[in-house]
Amino acid sequence: MKKVILKMTDINKSFSGVKALKGAALELRAGEVHALMGENGAGKSTLMKILTGIYEKDSGQVEVFGEQVEFADVKESQNAGIAIIHQELNMMKDLTVAQNIFIGREYIKYGIFIDDRRMEKEAQKLLDYVGVKIPPSARLGNLTVGKQQMVEIAKAISFNSRLLILDEPTAALTSVEVDELFRIMNELKAKGIGMIYISHRMDEIKRISDRVTVMRDGEYIGTVNTSETDDAEIVKMMVGRVIYGEKKEKSNCPENAPVVLEVQNLNAGDSVKNVSFSLKKGEILGFSGLMGAGRTEVARLIFGADKKESGVIKINGKEVSIDTPEKAVSYGISYISEDRKRYGLLLDKTVTDNSVLASIPEFVKSGFINDRLAEKKACEVNSKLRTKTPSMSQILRNLSGGNQQKVVVARWLIENSDIFIFDEPTRGIDIGAKSEMYELMDELVKKGKSIIMISSELAEIQRCSDRVVVMCEGRITAQLPVEKATQENIMKYAMMRGGEGVA
Amino acid sequence: MKTKALYDNSRLKNILEKSKQNLIIVGALAALVLIFYFLNPNFLNEYNIISMAQSLAPYAILGLGVTFAIATGGIDLSIGTVCIASSVVAGKLYTDGLIPLWAAIPVMIAIGGVFGLINGLLIAKLKLPAFIATLGTMMVSRGLSAIIVNAPNVFYPTGTWFNRLFSNNNGFPSGLLWVLGFTLLCMYLMYKNKTGRYILSIGSNEEATRLSGINTEKYKIAAYVITGVAAGIAAVFWSSSFVTVASATGNGMELDAIAGVYIGGTSAAGGVASVGGSVIGAAMLVVIRSGLNFVLAKYNVSVNSTYVTYVLTGVIVVFSVLIDILKNKKKK
Repeated sequence: MKKVILKMTDINKSFSGVKALKGAALELRAGEVHALMGENGAGKSTLMKILTGIYEKDSGQVEVFGEQVEFADVKESQNAGIAIIHQELNMMKDLTVAQNIFIGREYIKYGIFIDDRRMEKEAQKLLDYVGVKIPPSARLGNLTVGKQQMVEIAKAISFNSRLLILDEPTAALTSVEVDELFRIMNELKAKGIGMIYISHRMDEIKRISDRVTVMRDGEYIGTVNTSETDDAEIVKMMVGRVIYGEKKEKSNCPENAPVVLEVQNLNAGDSVKNVSFSLKKGEILGFSGLMGAGRTEVARLIFGADKKESGVIKINGKEVSIDTPEKAVSYGISYISEDRKRYGLLLDKTVTDNSVLASIPEFVKSGFINDRLAEKKACEVNSKLRTKTPSMSQILRNLSGGNQQKVVVARWLIENSDIFIFDEPTRGIDIGAKSEMYELMDELVKKGKSIIMISSELAEIQRCSDRVVVMCEGRITAQLPVEKATQENIMKYAMMRGGEGVA
Repeated sequence: MKTKALYDNSRLKNILEKSKQNLIIVGALAALVLIFYFLNPNFLNEYNIISMAQSLAPYAILGLGVTFAIATGGIDLSIGTVCIASSVVAGKLYTDGLIPLWAAIPVMIAIGGVFGLINGLLIAKLKLPAFIATLGTMMVSRGLSAIIVNAPNVFYPTGTWFNRLFSNNNGFPSGLLWVLGFTLLCMYLMYKNKTGRYILSIGSNEEATRLSGINTEKYKIAAYVITGVAAGIAAVFWSSSFVTVASATGNGMELDAIAGVYIGGTSAAGGVASVGGSVIGAAMLVVIRSGLNFVLAKYNVSVNSTYVTYVLTGVIVVFSVLIDILKNKKKK
């Protein structure tokens, strides 16, 4: 049994009277990858912030490398050998890899000159130690997100960190990059470095972690050995109940339902090649594939957010020209992006403002926007969606991810869209809200709406889709009825490079 | 129904919150007036009150206009020079007998509108940063108007209907009524018309607004056209209060007007705009300029009051925005 390097016991923390942590606990051994799981708001971040000295705990013990500690700030925790790799990278894109690693502690020559040569040499040593092949003189912005993350890990190591916290490190990585990250994590493991791994992705947890600690509502629920547990048990620990819906047995969409959307030979550069498919009324069409397969690009072309090179789009059998989102919306199409904050929300505006954004002309009465009417409508639709908000004039920034997502859906319900394109509808929202989102999609198609759902989670594809389109490298490689959409089958087509396409 | 009560309640709270913010600025304005009055009671003589009211119009209208550009998250640096350019070009046409006096009004508004359209196209269609696009048109409008006019000054008449209507009607500052009217119009455009609603949405998140099926280019252009037209209208008031207008006058007018907007509570990042605040902000600057004159004169300080005005205005802009930032931080 390896040495215990971190022991947090009975940690309590309140924010203005609200208990964020109630007896939280975590233990990490040297050379271990320890997954920390829990729904959003379960207290993972708070616990990590206490560990790194950002927050002060109310009570409890923290023992790092066998010593009782009480970090006053991040600097102290850094000096003690703890480093955190954030979800969003905090590095300078215009500086080189070496300059980024040594920022704030540059080597100086002759008292006034920055010694870039020496920094690059030292950086090379670190990169070799971590085991990545990146030239230290490369401009950081020219590297992929995955490579940038590895530079951040090298930087952490340069502080002699023996304890790494990785906060959703794979959120922006391609599957190849995830493999690379895991290889590096395994090397660090072999060197005795302990890692706390925060992620929502069950498959990754299974692959990389040794143990899993689950938190719920600020409390410690339990710690299990990864190899001795299955997904269902972890999910049950996280939510206190079993929730993942079963795989759909057969399509709920009648064979003879009319086609509402038809796409023929859609092309755009390397990312979308000859894509053709059709969507029926009342159907959920799942789009599966690896990251970068071109699914989001297809969605954006249909929605007019990007310009297509060629291809025909037909709505209800009639050819239409869609070159702006404005036109797409007028044809009853809506697009709900995976990146809500960038492409969906007005974060500093109210629930009402966000809900009615696409349909303001409807609320104009004799030249004046009738805000009462708008608020009433927003209230009505959001209560149906069970959006949890203290009021309709709550600022959107203050809602949780799942509720923000519902407000975006409300926007398109009010606009009365017929075709919904959901791009990763449950990304970043917690498991309880996930199943609500699934029920919502089911309700939409029951009402005769049609849905294209892009998802990277196979379980989600299987749970929701009536039919599955699989893409790889910009091409459609398979269109599978739900009965044939087994995980093995989907993965086979998702990795079918060279594009021996099946129509 | 429970939810209904919820939103009725919050609406009221929102309105109170908003009026509280406006009250603070009005209070600050009143405080300034009182301070100047105590330092020199002459400050509030009848003549000076009218004079201040009269000089408010061009600044207030510039401020009202540029609030729309700023609400998109942009800026328009060209408003001051476009205002002067409109004034001198129309004045030249009038002095040369090419157009009657009344026609100078639509000419000024059209010149402002054209520059606004150019700014809008550069920013929305060609994706130039607003600062650079309008810095360009600022310099172009200043130079071009001087070249076209080719005279140090142009002359506007005094004592005609033009002056009575826009500047001073037998001692009554008629510009004030216009300012009130334009304020109401801009409030309508910003808060109750979809143009303003979309402009604010663009300032909040442009891409999200576009992906909600809104023609963001069109409304961005609209914001700059409104700003430009306002500069043309401001020129009407400027022309009616001065006999001579030179291409070189009005230096830094745009900065005064923009400062007033920020003081008034409009966010430089866009998305939040206070139309009423912009007018009160402009009034504050007018009060400071005039008040300092009186105070410096009384205490025999031999400093040019313009420079002191710059210092004080600069400090107030920084502080009013700083207070806003600190307030928002506390909320989070």
